Amino acid sequence: MLVGGLLILVAGLMAFFPSMNSSGETDWISIPLVGFPIVVSCILLAFASQEKRSRKEIIASPIRLFTLCASLIPLAISTALFFDWLILVDWDLMYNEYALEEEYLWIESIGASWHVGMDGLSFPMVWLTTFLVPVTIVMTWNEKHGATYFPLLLMMGGALIGVFVALDLFLFYVFWELTLIPMFFLILKWGGKDRRYAAQKFFIYTFCASVIMLLGLITLYFLQPESSGSGYGTVTGRTFDMTALFTNARSKNAGDSVFLGKDMQNILFAMLMLGFLVKLPAVPFHTWLPDAHVQAPTGGSMLLAGVMLKMGAYGMLRIPIAIFPDALVFYQDIIMAIGLISLVWGAVVCLGQTNLKRMVAYSSVSHMGVILLGIASMQPIGYAAALFMMFAHGIISPMLFAVCGAFKHHYHSMEIGDMRGMARWSPFLAVYMMFAWMASLGLPLLAGFVAELMVLLAYWPAYGWWILLPGFVLAITAAYYLWSMQRTIFEGGDEGQPPESLKGETPPDITLPENIGMIILAVFTVIFGIFPFIALGMMDQWAVALFEGVFITGGI
Amino acid sequence: MSETGIIDYAVLIPLLPMLAFPVILFLGKIFNGTPGWVKNAKEGGIIALTVMGASLVLTLLLIKEHLHHIGSTNVFTWFESSWWNPGADVAITTKVFGFGIHIDHLTVMLLFVAAFLCFLINVFSIGYMNTDPINDNRNHRFYAEFVLFCSGMLGMVLADSFLWLFIFWELMGLCSYLLIGFYWERPSASYAAKKAFLTTRVGDVFLIIGLVMLWNLFDGHLDYAYVFDPVNIAAVNSGDLQIALGMMFIGAVGKSAQFPLHVWLPDAMEGPTPVSALIHAATMVNAGLYLVARMFPFFSGAELGALSTLAIIIACIGGITAVMAALIAFVQMDLKKVLAYSTMSQLAYIFTGLGSALWFANNGHDDLAAFAMGASLFHLFNHAMAKGMLFMASGSVIHEMHHAHHEVAHHDDDHHDDHFDAQSMENMGGLASRMPITATAMFVGSMSIIGIPFIGGFWSKEGIISSAWQVALKEPIFLLPALLILIGAGMTGFYMSRMWFMTFAGKPKTEVAEKVHEQTAWIPIPLVTLTVMTLGAVVLAGMHAGNWLGNFETGHYSNFFDGFGTEIEHVFLNHDPFLMILTYVAIGLSLVLGPSFAMALYGGSLDGGKKAKPWMQWAINLSAKVNKNSNFDNSKWANSSLSDSLHKRLHFDAIYDAAVMKIVVGFANLSAMFDSKVIDGAIKTIESTSQNASRKIRSLTTGSARDYIMMAALGTLAIFILLWGVA
Repeated sequence: MLVGGLLILVAGLMAFFPSMNSSGETDWISIPLVGFPIVVSCILLAFASQEKRSRKEIIASPIRLFTLCASLIPLAISTALFFDWLILVDWDLMYNEYALEEEYLWIESIGASWHVGMDGLSFPMVWLTTFLVPVTIVMTWNEKHGATYFPLLLMMGGALIGVFVALDLFLFYVFWELTLIPMFFLILKWGGKDRRYAAQKFFIYTFCASVIMLLGLITLYFLQPESSGSGYGTVTGRTFDMTALFTNARSKNAGDSVFLGKDMQNILFAMLMLGFLVKLPAVPFHTWLPDAHVQAPTGGSMLLAGVMLKMGAYGMLRIPIAIFPDALVFYQDIIMAIGLISLVWGAVVCLGQTNLKRMVAYSSVSHMGVILLGIASMQPIGYAAALFMMFAHGIISPMLFAVCGAFKHHYHSMEIGDMRGMARWSPFLAVYMMFAWMASLGLPLLAGFVAELMVLLAYWPAYGWWILLPGFVLAITAAYYLWSMQRTIFEGGDEGQPPESLKGETPPDITLPENIGMIILAVFTVIFGIFPFIALGMMDQWAVALFEGVFITGGI
Repeated sequence: MSETGIIDYAVLIPLLPMLAFPVILFLGKIFNGTPGWVKNAKEGGIIALTVMGASLVLTLLLIKEHLHHIGSTNVFTWFESSWWNPGADVAITTKVFGFGIHIDHLTVMLLFVAAFLCFLINVFSIGYMNTDPINDNRNHRFYAEFVLFCSGMLGMVLADSFLWLFIFWELMGLCSYLLIGFYWERPSASYAAKKAFLTTRVGDVFLIIGLVMLWNLFDGHLDYAYVFDPVNIAAVNSGDLQIALGMMFIGAVGKSAQFPLHVWLPDAMEGPTPVSALIHAATMVNAGLYLVARMFPFFSGAELGALSTLAIIIACIGGITAVMAALIAFVQMDLKKVLAYSTMSQLAYIFTGLGSALWFANNGHDDLAAFAMGASLFHLFNHAMAKGMLFMASGSVIHEMHHAHHEVAHHDDDHHDDHFDAQSMENMGGLASRMPITATAMFVGSMSIIGIPFIGGFWSKEGIISSAWQVALKEPIFLLPALLILIGAGMTGFYMSRMWFMTFAGKPKTEVAEKVHEQTAWIPIPLVTLTVMTLGAVVLAGMHAGNWLGNFETGHYSNFFDGFGTEIEHVFLNHDPFLMILTYVAIGLSLVLGPSFAMALYGGSLDGGKKAKPWMQWAINLSAKVNKNSNFDNSKWANSSLSDSLHKRLHFDAIYDAAVMKIVVGFANLSAMFDSKVIDGAIKTIESTSQNASRKIRSLTTGSARDYIMMAALGTLAIFILLWGVA
């Protein structure tokens, strides 16, 4: 107990004293954003696992409070960085330039280092992660077995941030797989009836895909030109450092030449993309998602849909597209086709779902298709749209899943046909449901619309009349959302028909913590809908830098 | 170009109501049920009224400032994004998505209509909503959604780009959805709300695709200042432009409830009556017309004749809807549904008028184009005023019918009938003497819609019909819409008169109708105001409102009597004999033929000794006389299959429902099954196969040392053989 307390204290201090690097500048990323949440959560988990079962319920509430406070520290830092309060950060970066970049040697023999930094691509996702973790903690305030649940959420946040800030392929892969661990346990321990199956499927499916990606990364590692500069492995003579790889690839791609040759580019691009497409997920690699979501607890779903899916999109934009621009052109139409299929298929399948959470999960598949369309459009506005879609969906989809979670929590059922007229019993829940559903179907002045509009603008010149399919999806999306609303919260509210799973109890409205969480998410949906430029500015700058740095110099 | 003046504050016109939305919701949640909130604040009604009043005042000031010159100002930059032009000198260019205010004649006219009617209908709502116990404790929701809607409408009119037009357009769609579903617990209401949103959404999808095309055609611009510049229009391929505008027009068809996306409007009458008056008659449904009217500069700027096809399509859709809706209105018994179909029909007139204007504009007849444009927009104005009033009057009737029904039911429990339909005209009759203000308003409004000479819509409707025929003389295909709207004039005369006579003339058909009397405060205010407005349209006609709307910079009036003289001359003594004959045919159809059929079928004198106001009594007497003297046999028609189809709304709803439920949902269910059985099934097969395989391999692990030694020996042997073979 005493040791545990001391460790927590030490960890807390660590966060407040960001370590100094060699030049005496503060390193805002390594410890405060990545190390601190992971270390603290590990300590808390170790601490909680030592306690007896009966004591676990007692220590749950202080641990919950502590994790909340701990998760607010990264949020404070990233928010301050967002608005330049802390230090002046210029997000207007050239290609392959990063803000707050830090590098520490790690495994010299193979050229792996702890290299972190942020740019317009990663920072919005980092902020989103730091924002979602405390919101998730608040939203699922009353989750059972809190002593281990809340630290897992915190660890999840730290690992996710690690993925986004890593500028070293080795480090990237480590964090990429690290995110699976807390999510696996979240589904396994707090999930629904079929949680064992869902957790295994989630883990094995995405892990298999990651292995293919890893093979691609290692091939890329060994095919890169040998050198002996700093950061290059003393044994292998190659480096995992992304910035060095990008510089190399950029100079080799310039003009008519092609880095590693056209065929090798195509093969490696496909291998890497496969890993990312499964994570995204894109049809036909999407079936792990509905299972995972339906079985996952609310908090797990929120982080899974909010940030974890975006790892796939982030990875695509960060690695294959930047290194293999010629392969991107080669696969452009295929990417468009996969995006379109995901978009349409996800939406159509949504209409045929009877489980609320399953429907929302498929709607995520549909929305992730939009990101692929943005990438295939080959326009900066399309790339900025893809980034904004990641960001907006990261705020809206947790709210969707929170609403589903509230249904599960209060009515013990998520079957659409089970209930009628729930707005009578749960007016607040009905309002949040309406809001989240409307935001997700792309209502203007809410965050989702901006991204959809921009993608369509970029899509028309590239693919012409195929635009009718995304248009069709806009209508279908409205149809399945409105239809599900009509059947659950409206219609027949005079008498109301609570689900049988309530066993005759009066249906309750949602709790105070849920209210708070929903309001926060709703407010930010509105803010980023009305003032999209807050986040869009740096995204657009990043897209321009990518085009200038990769596609234009690459002679695309 | 930026200027100073009221226009700097113009953004407050939509902003104030938008900010009032959360305030009313929030206060309502806190103070629900407290006497102060119910009595003094009218559950938010007073807050809404204050805000709408402020918007109205600002609107009037703004109109005063910009009656004759175009104004625009930039408010804020929504976001910026970049565009890559491969191969160009400047490879990356920045596209700006801003919001600003743009004011011209269209804005001025529609802004006045919107702000004025929003205010009046707010007054009406306080009378209508707050006295019905069914609304207790949820009126704040009504007022909150009401002001949000007003914000959307005012914003759409003021916006300076097609993008923000679309954004506010969708905001209105949301409010329409929320307000139609105000009584969400009724299955019919939640069904109607969904239907309205989805049907308009289908149109909106095409609108946004059209906008995307337009944005790409105009080099990343959707703001009026750029896209209406003749230089930029001339630079664009007219064929592409026509397709983009055509897509946008489909959006207008959805929003303005035109064939074939009209099915939502009659069902939208599930909403409270003020909502029907505001959204589904006077403002939101005009958004589609506004969008089409906004396209005018494209037609005058593009290549001669290149956009004619679209103009013809617009007019034809109008013509078809005008007659179709009027036909369905023939058989409706629900007071509000008659008005709903009438709205569709009248909007269709305006579409035909706009189609004519756009055709003229695209074929180089600028004067005729200005005239047709002015007539169409003036009809929009007249129709909004009259239809808003008609709906409020119908609300007044329904409200008092409800009251009377409660009284009757209260006094005599035996007569309590839960299925009493306060909206059905079969239960009314003879209300002219019992509800003089309402009857007058309805009388004037109906006359305006019918186009009785000198009253309201007459001036503009004649302009539309004559414009359409003038196009028809030059372009034969236009004969279709021209003929249809001419026939429609007579049909309008029939169904509007039918509605009035069934409701207000004759003997009361039920006990409830006998007990009806006007008693609710607040309601008469807007009725009287709008009656005056509608009658005053004659003044506006004299002031060349139509001319001014057609030709903003120079078309305004110089001398009232001159203007009036010209107008009269144009209508009744046109120098072109064709147009003159046309006018008299139209008047004959709408004034004589339609109403006399209605009188023959539904006319009748009031019950014993009751007298209506003198300006209505003559009509009732006349109707009684016509009714007695004609022995018109209606049964054959009433039993015909056409009448049956009309009762079923020409089967559109049934077909659409079947298409959606059977084909789309059926396909979706099939897809869901395919997804879980085939796509996920493949994954599951991989799973189970690998599990089985591993189970088989596991059987090698016997745990017995003997087996392992055996295997090791065999393995070693194999290696040796291999090595030996290689060597």
